Amino acid sequence: MEKQVIYSTEPEDFYYMGVNVPCQAACPASTNIPAYIRALYEEHYGRSYEINHMANILPGVLGRICSRPCEDKCRHGETELGHPVNICHIKRAAAELKQGISRAAEGPLPSLGIKVAVVGSGPAGLAAAHDLSTIGFSVTLFEALDKAGGMLRYGIPEFRLPRKVLDEEIERILETGVVLRTRTRVGEDVAVGELLKDFEAVLLAAGCYKSLALKVPGESLPGVYPGLEFMMSVCSERPSVIGDRVLVIGAGFTAFDCARSALRLGAEDVTICLRRTEEDLVVTKDEVLETKKEGINIQSLMLSRRVVGNGRLEGVEFVRTRPGDVGPDGKRAITPIEGSEFMVPADSVIVATGQKPEPIEAGAQKDEQGLLVADERSFLTSRQGLYVAGDYLTGPSTVIESVGMGRRAAEKIARDLTGRAFREKVVRMEETQITDRKRTWDYLPRQEMPTLQPLKERFKGMNREVETGLTPEQAKEESKRCYLCYLHYEIDMSRCIYCRYCIDVAPRDCIKLVKEIQTNDVGAVTGFVETTRWREVNAVVIDNSRCIRCGECMRVCPVNCISVTRVDLTERWAAEGESHG
Amino acid sequence: MAEEHFVIVGNGPAGHQAAVTLKEKAPDAYVSIISRSRGSCYRPHLLPDFIAGEISEDALYVCPTDSYKEKGVKLRTGQRVVGLDLKEHSVALDHKEIVRYTGLVIAAGGKPRIPEPLWIFQDLMLTLKTLEDAKAWREKLSRMDSVLIMGGDLTSFAVTKSLLRLNKKVYFMLDKEAFWPLRCDKAMLEEAGHRLSQRGVEVLLDRRVKSIARVSDTACDVQLNGDRVRVGIIGAFFGLVPDIRFLVGSGLRIDRGILVDEYLNTGYASVFATGDCAQIYHPEIRDYWVSIGHDNAVNLGRTAALNLLGGRVMVEAAQESIFEVQGIRVNTSWWMEF
Repeated sequence: MEKQVIYSTEPEDFYYMGVNVPCQAACPASTNIPAYIRALYEEHYGRSYEINHMANILPGVLGRICSRPCEDKCRHGETELGHPVNICHIKRAAAELKQGISRAAEGPLPSLGIKVAVVGSGPAGLAAAHDLSTIGFSVTLFEALDKAGGMLRYGIPEFRLPRKVLDEEIERILETGVVLRTRTRVGEDVAVGELLKDFEAVLLAAGCYKSLALKVPGESLPGVYPGLEFMMSVCSERPSVIGDRVLVIGAGFTAFDCARSALRLGAEDVTICLRRTEEDLVVTKDEVLETKKEGINIQSLMLSRRVVGNGRLEGVEFVRTRPGDVGPDGKRAITPIEGSEFMVPADSVIVATGQKPEPIEAGAQKDEQGLLVADERSFLTSRQGLYVAGDYLTGPSTVIESVGMGRRAAEKIARDLTGRAFREKVVRMEETQITDRKRTWDYLPRQEMPTLQPLKERFKGMNREVETGLTPEQAKEESKRCYLCYLHYEIDMSRCIYCRYCIDVAPRDCIKLVKEIQTNDVGAVTGFVETTRWREVNAVVIDNSRCIRCGECMRVCPVNCISVTRVDLTERWAAEGESHG
Repeated sequence: MAEEHFVIVGNGPAGHQAAVTLKEKAPDAYVSIISRSRGSCYRPHLLPDFIAGEISEDALYVCPTDSYKEKGVKLRTGQRVVGLDLKEHSVALDHKEIVRYTGLVIAAGGKPRIPEPLWIFQDLMLTLKTLEDAKAWREKLSRMDSVLIMGGDLTSFAVTKSLLRLNKKVYFMLDKEAFWPLRCDKAMLEEAGHRLSQRGVEVLLDRRVKSIARVSDTACDVQLNGDRVRVGIIGAFFGLVPDIRFLVGSGLRIDRGILVDEYLNTGYASVFATGDCAQIYHPEIRDYWVSIGHDNAVNLGRTAALNLLGGRVMVEAAQESIFEVQGIRVNTSWWMEF
């Protein structure tokens, strides 16, 4: 019998996906994580890579350096369920195990004859250029530096991101027909106004290349380096001279990259100084651990007050801080503790406390800092045809956020220029069978990323990749741990005989006796009013937000009233109404 | 009114004292201790004497296991807390049980700290935190005559004394990490080295471990920068770090330990932290501090319990120096006592 497949764009189905597939909901690019993990389990590595690529054009890159918001939301990481699935490294495994590109690169569709300029070849620019090119736009990608990649190439050290991986994935994007023009700094070599004459739309995705200052006395002393400049000098193979004792002030990926690079440049004693605590770091736990293993100290709850020196750097004076509550911006408040001053000596200080965009003259509305103002949903500036996206719009973000935003900006530009939609999100539903997933797989330990050992091997050059990759066996073992939250379990109440066998075998409170099902204004289920009194029971329901997809309920049901549906939040071509990929 | 259930995580001196105090002051409440280790509470500071064979295992215990029952405290041993839900007022256990509380005292204690660069050599080192660790020391000392002490915390000096009494050859590595988390200077290191040398210990100053290799059942080669040492046992004494991994992401403020105020409160009304895992800012040293030592732990356990019951008891700080631990000035003179 042919399987029934339903596509939905109903709000309640999107709501369901947001609640019940938490990893995908947390991914700024909306990557279909359960699907690619399952594909890897089935050893369809190419397909696993392509599922990734549909949402995220840089799977090999992001399989290494993603900030992994998905893992923070993985159901396997809920309190009593152990540790999140190693989602990121499964992605890398798929990228490494695939045999070339398993399917032809998508598109491009026939040319639309419309020219678009994308300024900046970092993750946002690359994503936008890719998506525009594959739907038929003629895209020229402008890059100020020697090669494409933006922060990926000039802000992330090679020991975390091999350039071969980056080059391959950029090449695949360029193969869609994107014209790359390097060493062209828009705003200097060519004016935005000029571009707007030649192109029907210009997307500025020029990133954040201006380091924020500490704004403390003494910061201009020799030996104090802005973090991004330091990293760019390292990545350009023209590193700064740093001495033996290095303090890195900052808490982001750049700070950690600076510290680890300093160690590889020969520094003896490197310390990362945090205003908050290690727990507040956005840097991944793996990164923190490897940093410590390499011998770097991480000191917390300290705020720089002044850089000390008399013509020559001597150190930094700090005060202790007291942490407060986490604010709406997700950052924990801190209060300096007066009277707690202390001095830390240093030969070099690297200030990696953040970056901001550099102003570009574009003839559009600016804010008080001279930066272009644009709407974060439409990406439009006050000037017709001029759009802004990525870090240039939002300030520093993660690579995966930039990829997601670049793609959304591309779709918006395409719609504005043609008056029609190209790609649309859709919930695809397909009846399926219970998987071969075993209950014992819930207890498998997380497969951690192997790293280069012994440590001295890491310091033999700047390009020795530290994380060596999961073996195929490890990747498959890890893929078993995924609960496959894209499977939706449901009880058909017209057939249920209220035997409660399913409740008896439930591994947690995932099957509920309810007297009322709560819904929101779009009809999505938002909660259940449970009861323990039989006469009040109106339904036996599976709470998919608690379900770990063990399948035990289905196995014991005497009347087969439990069904499984595979629900995928995916994309399709809007014009044809068919699934894309 | 709902029944009170006070849950204490950890059965060390602080946790045990917190439980006893809670039961004394609130006899109608349920009091449960959840402990990863098995058996009764013991005095970890006596473990060096135990490995020297000077006291028996029985002498280590604060009280027999039966006494918990007599005091009305439910002792759940061999159970590991893996998560805390502050909204639901519950802790999750490794075997997937959820335990609800009305008041919680976290006294999870510390675990031996091994600096991350040395992690790959962990299997070749002995630490001394638990009774099981001490038994491992005794077994090895029955077969081996030389010991390399790495680190330099309070326990390392006590163990060194025990080893000297057993006529073992002791090498002692002293470097800038020695008194972590204290910041120590060259003069401190030199004086400590002098004290140790006077007692016949071979002091290795400013050395770094490059590699460790087991060469036989009874010997390891330790390659240092500059020389090599062959010893039977390698002891790692780099201090303790609070054992609070299970709290990551819970919402509690965590740094080296659980950040608490001077009443040991975490910022959540019914949740207190005490003992080795509580981190407090102390104006006298102008820095954060994690208290160590048996007597301090007992006092802190009592303080947490009283405050959980609505008291306003401030953490006691020694007047002269907060480094005063069991009569030894920790900030300057572990070695002065040597």
